[in-house]
Amino acid sequence: MNRTLLIARREYMAYAKTVGFWLSLLAFPLFGALGGAIPILMSHAEPTRSVALVDEAPTGSGLAAAVRQSLENEQAKGDINALRMAAIPEAGVAGGDRVRQIAETQGYEAGVAALKREAPRAGAGFTAPKPSLTLAAPPAEIVAAAPGEARDALARRYLSDEAPDGQKLSAVVFLTEIEGQPGARVWTARATDDAVENAVRDALKDVNRRQVFAASGIDPAVVAQTDRFRPELAVFSPKAASGGEVSFRDKLPTVVGLAVGFILWSLIITGASILLNSVMEEKSNKILEVLLSSASATEILTGKVLGVALLTLTVLVAWGGLGGIGLIAAAPDMAGDIGSVLMSNGLLIYFLLFMVGGYLMYAVLFAAIGAFCETPRDAQTLMGPIMMVLFVPLIVMQMAIRTPDATVVKVMSLIPPFTPFVMAARAPSGPPLIEIIGALIGMFLFAALMVWVAGRAFRAGALSDVKLNWKSFLGAVRGGS
Amino acid sequence: MAAALTLDGISKRYGGFQAVSDLSFEVEKGTICGFLGPNGAGKTSTLRMILGLQPATSGRIEILGADDGRKVRDRIGFLPEERGLYKKMTPVDAIAFFGGLKGLPVAEGRKRAREMLEQMGLGDAQKKKMKELSKGMAQKVQLIASVVHRPEFVILDEPFSGLDPMNQQGLEAMIRALAADGATVLFSTHVMQHAERLCDKVVLLARGRKAFEGTVDQARATSPRFLELEGALDLAAVAALPGVSGVEVLNDHDGARILRAGLAQGAGGQEALKSAFLTGLDVRRFQIKEPTLHDAFIALTGDHPDDDQSVARDAAHDGLKAEAAR
Repeated sequence: MNRTLLIARREYMAYAKTVGFWLSLLAFPLFGALGGAIPILMSHAEPTRSVALVDEAPTGSGLAAAVRQSLENEQAKGDINALRMAAIPEAGVAGGDRVRQIAETQGYEAGVAALKREAPRAGAGFTAPKPSLTLAAPPAEIVAAAPGEARDALARRYLSDEAPDGQKLSAVVFLTEIEGQPGARVWTARATDDAVENAVRDALKDVNRRQVFAASGIDPAVVAQTDRFRPELAVFSPKAASGGEVSFRDKLPTVVGLAVGFILWSLIITGASILLNSVMEEKSNKILEVLLSSASATEILTGKVLGVALLTLTVLVAWGGLGGIGLIAAAPDMAGDIGSVLMSNGLLIYFLLFMVGGYLMYAVLFAAIGAFCETPRDAQTLMGPIMMVLFVPLIVMQMAIRTPDATVVKVMSLIPPFTPFVMAARAPSGPPLIEIIGALIGMFLFAALMVWVAGRAFRAGALSDVKLNWKSFLGAVRGGS
Repeated sequence: MAAALTLDGISKRYGGFQAVSDLSFEVEKGTICGFLGPNGAGKTSTLRMILGLQPATSGRIEILGADDGRKVRDRIGFLPEERGLYKKMTPVDAIAFFGGLKGLPVAEGRKRAREMLEQMGLGDAQKKKMKELSKGMAQKVQLIASVVHRPEFVILDEPFSGLDPMNQQGLEAMIRALAADGATVLFSTHVMQHAERLCDKVVLLARGRKAFEGTVDQARATSPRFLELEGALDLAAVAALPGVSGVEVLNDHDGARILRAGLAQGAGGQEALKSAFLTGLDVRRFQIKEPTLHDAFIALTGDHPDDDQSVARDAAHDGLKAEAAR
């Protein structure tokens, strides 16, 4: 077998054969899935609080009924919103909005039926979200007791384990009017649980609002209708795919660009760091000299870079595969849109070229630094400033989403060390072809320069005991004294 | 006999430090040559130049008919002074990998690795990871890795360092076997006894310069024989014996001294023995001894082979950064 391929294979197998590699490979998608699932699991695990409303307001104010109504309205809104969110991955935002509209105008059950029509898979598995609180009838002895200390004492009992069997409450809310405005005293079983407190506050604000409107002579039906109003807003741009109205599909390339930029950044830095550690291990274990007696520095460097590139590719394929399968299963339309974005205007080819160029320039540089070092501490002198510079594109990439043609973004995308990340984020917004081609040429010329520089430094560093610093590194590159 | 290696006026300079000066010698095919000198004498630098790992500042090297070691690297086996292998690899994988780099098919490398590990008494360690092996075992594995491709020329840099006497003996046997199979062996050491037992030829290096090139016997002949005397002896009286050029005390315990008396070139020692008895010296033991390679080294260079000449070695290594331009 060719020496370069042999070194590449050893490099690949050294990592691919370890359990740690596969664990870390799966950790990212696993945590991604967990990150999405945890809020849902938490919302399902959250207990439903049993709340009793006790009206202490002047007779005839109807405060308790108004608050009860407001709380129930809020609960219904949550259910309708859950229907909309369930529909979006499968039916898109427009489909979700249709489901919401039907649920708002025709009721929750009609909304569920609409969900099943618009998004059959989501509809089949849909369950209404668990309510955060339910309203219980206030215990008769509390209602019968005189307001004040007597009621408070009873509230304490009903919130504790001393409550009669099956009548333990999570909160008792005494609704009252303070200086003519709705207010409340909330007794809660847990001092740290502010769910009831927040719900009651929102309900009181809502009640107050309605009372104010009513006092001003505004029909409550008008208020309700106003609340339901959602403006029909259409955005147009000459750059939209339709030539006019901007759709989510038009915004998708920018999101994809940013995502690709971040993924490239993390893959390239991870790959280059693996290479740094690998070369450092060979240096500290005195293997580099044996390698150099068996293969040229170019063969060693190429083999190692290739081996880690294959490793990075494995990670990319695994993440891409798992992400793609997950996306197709959860949101096939969005998966299709992302696929078509990647396949349009040569974006996928650009991304691959940015990855190759970016990996090459950083991998060889990190390998050359590793050739001088036996421990990560040795490498710190050079790695510190390099990592600081590498954080610059992370900031600029975010700017590229809103203003891809801002001067700073343009300039940064043409600076070779930043090109792979910033131009990847910018490319989907359709910059002039000449800029993309220019950036690619600049990047590959710079990568070639880095290969030359790193090759010289690697050769010198491999047999040297010299302490690594900028002076010694540049001296090795120059081959001078 | 044809030369497998020729060095012609080789010099190596690292910045302001002259590591090797005008070094010339030859190693004939199929022989064992010892490259001897104290630490820091320039041995490793010379070996690296032979391998083509670093360029000579001036001079010419020819190895296996090539003007650059890199052109014939597949025909050379090399064991560096500072040894190490991939800690997580098994010996078989490591040997097959390094054999593969020398052009040996990996499957064949694995087969030979198993056979050679068995021969070296490491059959049980085949499937262990390198990090689980003792230092001696790991060193044997590395030695196997350097010769598994059956090289024509084997370069071993301080191969005996770090080995216990038992393993040193095993290594000597292995070096003899390599030469018996037709390989040319060049090994560096600062321990003269190994060279004395193994070498067809030795090259003595001191402060970067060649001090001697020839057989072990020729080297010994450059140093005079000496007497070893034991008894209640007076230093001045021994020094006055005929043919004695100098005296040093080897041991002095409870009045029983062991003295070493150097003989002048051409002196046989019998005259001194006769005179010692005639003058009534209290001699309990008298022995005429042949010089060792160690003695020869001191006689030839004025240095001690166990001295460390590596004060300037760091400077030499610092100078390696200048080697990038190859």
